[in-house]
Amino acid sequence: MSFFGFDTALPGQNKGSGRKRNGAKKNNAPMDFEDTYQGLGEYENEEDDYLNAETFGDGTELGADFDFGYGRGNLDANTSSAGHVEQPALNRSYASAAASAGPGALNAGYSLPSAHTMDEGMDFTPMESLWTNQSAVIPQQQPQNPIPQVLSMGEIERQQFQQQQQQQQHGYMNMPPMPPMGYGYPPHAYGPPGVNNTGYQGLPQDFSQSVPQGYPQGLPQGGPMAMPMHMAPMGPPQHYQPIPVPMQQHEQQTPQQAHHQAPASLPQEASPAPVLSREPSESPSSVQPQEVVRADQFSSVGVPEQAFAQEMRPPHNAPGNRGQAIIPDQVMREIAPRETRRGSMRKPQEPLSSEELKKLRIRQAKVDKILRHSGVMTPRDKDFITRYQLSQIVTDDPYNEDFYFQVYKIIQRGGIVGESNKGLIARAYLEHSGHRLGGRYKRADVALQRMQSQVEKAVTVAKERPQKSRENLDGAKEGVLGKISSARNSKAPRRQLQIPLQKEEEDEVTSQAIEDVVQSMNGVELSSSKARRRSSYAFRSVDQRAVLSRSGGRKFVLSLIETVYSEVLELEAQLRSGQDTDSSALWETLHISDDAYEVSPFISILSFDKGVKIMPRIFNFLNKEQKLKLLYCFFSELSHLNIIVTSSYKTNPDPSDSQLKKLELFQSVFLKIIVSFLSSSAEFLEVLGLLLALVKNNNVSFISTSKIGLNLITVLISRAALIKQDVSRGNVLSSMEASTWNEIYDKLFTALETKLAVVFPPDEYSSRVVATSSSGTVTSATVGQSSKHQFYDQSYIWQFLASLALSGKLNHQRVIIDEIREEIFGTISRAEQLSSTAPVEEQQIALYQRDKLYQDLNLFLNVMGLVARDGEISELK
Amino acid sequence: MLFFSFFKTLVDQEVTVELKNDIELKGTLKSVDQFLNLKLDNIECSDASKYPHLSSVRNIFIRGSTVRYVYLNKNMVDTNLLQDAARREAMSSKN
Repeated sequence: MSFFGFDTALPGQNKGSGRKRNGAKKNNAPMDFEDTYQGLGEYENEEDDYLNAETFGDGTELGADFDFGYGRGNLDANTSSAGHVEQPALNRSYASAAASAGPGALNAGYSLPSAHTMDEGMDFTPMESLWTNQSAVIPQQQPQNPIPQVLSMGEIERQQFQQQQQQQQHGYMNMPPMPPMGYGYPPHAYGPPGVNNTGYQGLPQDFSQSVPQGYPQGLPQGGPMAMPMHMAPMGPPQHYQPIPVPMQQHEQQTPQQAHHQAPASLPQEASPAPVLSREPSESPSSVQPQEVVRADQFSSVGVPEQAFAQEMRPPHNAPGNRGQAIIPDQVMREIAPRETRRGSMRKPQEPLSSEELKKLRIRQAKVDKILRHSGVMTPRDKDFITRYQLSQIVTDDPYNEDFYFQVYKIIQRGGIVGESNKGLIARAYLEHSGHRLGGRYKRADVALQRMQSQVEKAVTVAKERPQKSRENLDGAKEGVLGKISSARNSKAPRRQLQIPLQKEEEDEVTSQAIEDVVQSMNGVELSSSKARRRSSYAFRSVDQRAVLSRSGGRKFVLSLIETVYSEVLELEAQLRSGQDTDSSALWETLHISDDAYEVSPFISILSFDKGVKIMPRIFNFLNKEQKLKLLYCFFSELSHLNIIVTSSYKTNPDPSDSQLKKLELFQSVFLKIIVSFLSSSAEFLEVLGLLLALVKNNNVSFISTSKIGLNLITVLISRAALIKQDVSRGNVLSSMEASTWNEIYDKLFTALETKLAVVFPPDEYSSRVVATSSSGTVTSATVGQSSKHQFYDQSYIWQFLASLALSGKLNHQRVIIDEIREEIFGTISRAEQLSSTAPVEEQQIALYQRDKLYQDLNLFLNVMGLVARDGEISELK
Repeated sequence: MLFFSFFKTLVDQEVTVELKNDIELKGTLKSVDQFLNLKLDNIECSDASKYPHLSSVRNIFIRGSTVRYVYLNKNMVDTNLLQDAARREAMSSKN
């Protein structure tokens, strides 16, 4: 959220103050986005700029920087503690004003001395000619002067009316107080005093007209001319022109006046205020701060300015108002009483202490600084930008475009959907703009509401955005905010890498080549390549690339995984939006019943971690029949499963850390699914079917050399045994089922017979696994901190043997014991050794390991009613 | 929007930002925008002696284009979710 870049001082604040100011024209209704921006960027360049020369002077070079605030020098002068320096100059200007024709001092500061002469026939500069029609306005000021003879009431009214009309005609365009001119303002300068003094409220005199113009004239000639801040080119900001607040004014006035005027002027601001709020579509949320500032200005400056303007009037008045020269003396006389009167109304007169004056000055300087660039953008501009920025970051479809954030937050909150996306954005924006307190009136709720409506608007804009940017990529709107590449880039960032897509043919060649190599190496009959072989060619599967190539090639499998992911994501999105899900497309992508490949692509999918990780989510969308098919396929082709190969000590005697991690991942993800499926929904016959698929199509003894394989077999037999016990309690197990079970068990046992001892990995393998495994959790058990105390966890083997023995008959059990007798005694002696050889300080650990060994061993022995304890095997009582 | 979305989840977490001028700043991420501009609070420069002018800076706004790396704590990222989000983004850009 780029609330940083621009002045967010406004949003949310103006509410209260706006209300206070005008009480009326609150625009609470949501605004139409298009209405709230003036669309400046849509205008063509003006062609009739012929007044520019007058406005800016001819001599300026193109691209020159006009200082429309006020000269830096002026600012400096203000901040300097001086004032004394200016004083004489000011006095001189007074004097010259009083003299009404003084050629000297006043003129000195202005570029066109002659203009100050009161000569009626004075030739005005081009600028003046622009304003000649304004001269009629000037009389309007008269009422404020108690000089009755100047105009009648009727005349005044008429003039006011005229002025109104003129303003309507000219708008702000008609007031170019231009630097080159040197003298600030023609008639307009007197607008404000008139307004304030007469106290009228309704006259729609543009505020901009009034305040600033008076100023330049009041400025001491000594300082660099305070630039009129009214810049014609800056259309919208007109209402908020920074007002130069020359300190000199205070000095120039009697301190008393300055002091009293400050408080006194505040109430009078009411009159400009309506102007501020009259702005039709300006969003209320952005106005207030400026008003606040304004109040500051006024409190310290407003009145002096008025007074000053009046004082200065004579020289200018004369030209504008031919024949109506006011005698300066009169003016002077009038001013003093007026000021005094006003001052006394508010406050007892007190002289300003120099310290207070100083404070005031410092404060003023600060305000000046702040105001230096204020008003460059109107609230509407700012609103527009805010909304534009918001429109970049809000989205109509948060789960699609803001997926990570949304889901992450839900996960963090434990599945509870929190505040709405839009609410969050509104809050964040408010907070970062520093206005979460709701401005002066602490209307935080209102501020938030406003911001929410802004966000709402922004969403609308965001919705429209794609069409806009498609039609008109470099449209005028975007140009308004500078070069906006984000409109496209945030959605479709520029790619650093362009990957050419025409390489497919080449790929086919290489994968074909691999296949050829694989086939020749393995001596596979080409004829059988299409019909999937169900025999156990486990050792051929050691080369994973071979397996992959037989199921379509590595790239095919990888792209398959991605397709599966996108299907799952699609289904999950449907689930979130409450739609019915259809898993048939997902089922297709799994290629489970697809016989076109020698090895099912599904098996190859499980060779990749991401393929394993997606399995639980796939299972969420499959129905039971599909799950069964999937598992049937899985068990049928178990020998090809990469994880079996890597976890078998025969094919992979030296497993790497990453392989062990894969193994653990598989165990914790896929094995879990199988177990939960078998225990929750599989029927007895279905379990038998899976076991049969395993025994029939695989080299069981090879599978039993791998930890995962052994785990899988264990799961199947123990589940079958459990169901059998359950069912037999209810006497539901039919004789057909029982005989099938016996048959399948016999098959399994035959496959394992004479090779039962190979389920125990050799010691080198176990120690290597322990050494490699960085985190001994699943593969090996850890006792104590040091790896020295890690040992290979054989419990999975004893679990297998236990479940095998449990389902077998007595003769089966006898065979088992015969075959693994050595292992049993080996384990017992190892356990006894541990306690006797361990150093005293490691006795604890040794005892634990010993107990663990016995525990595992007894898992198996208990099935046959035996128990191993303290180095001996005895009958279980 | 993926990284914007991602960095939004890091708000109020402590991160270390390495800038392209080699300055490394550790601080609490306060906000991020679509340009991946960052706002850090309570910053701390990892090489304060080399950049003494930063020792008196408390919070900072960093233009996104000047960032080289953002170091995060491992547990601040849900990598699986991030993968999903990346896939979704890829999916939506294809359409």
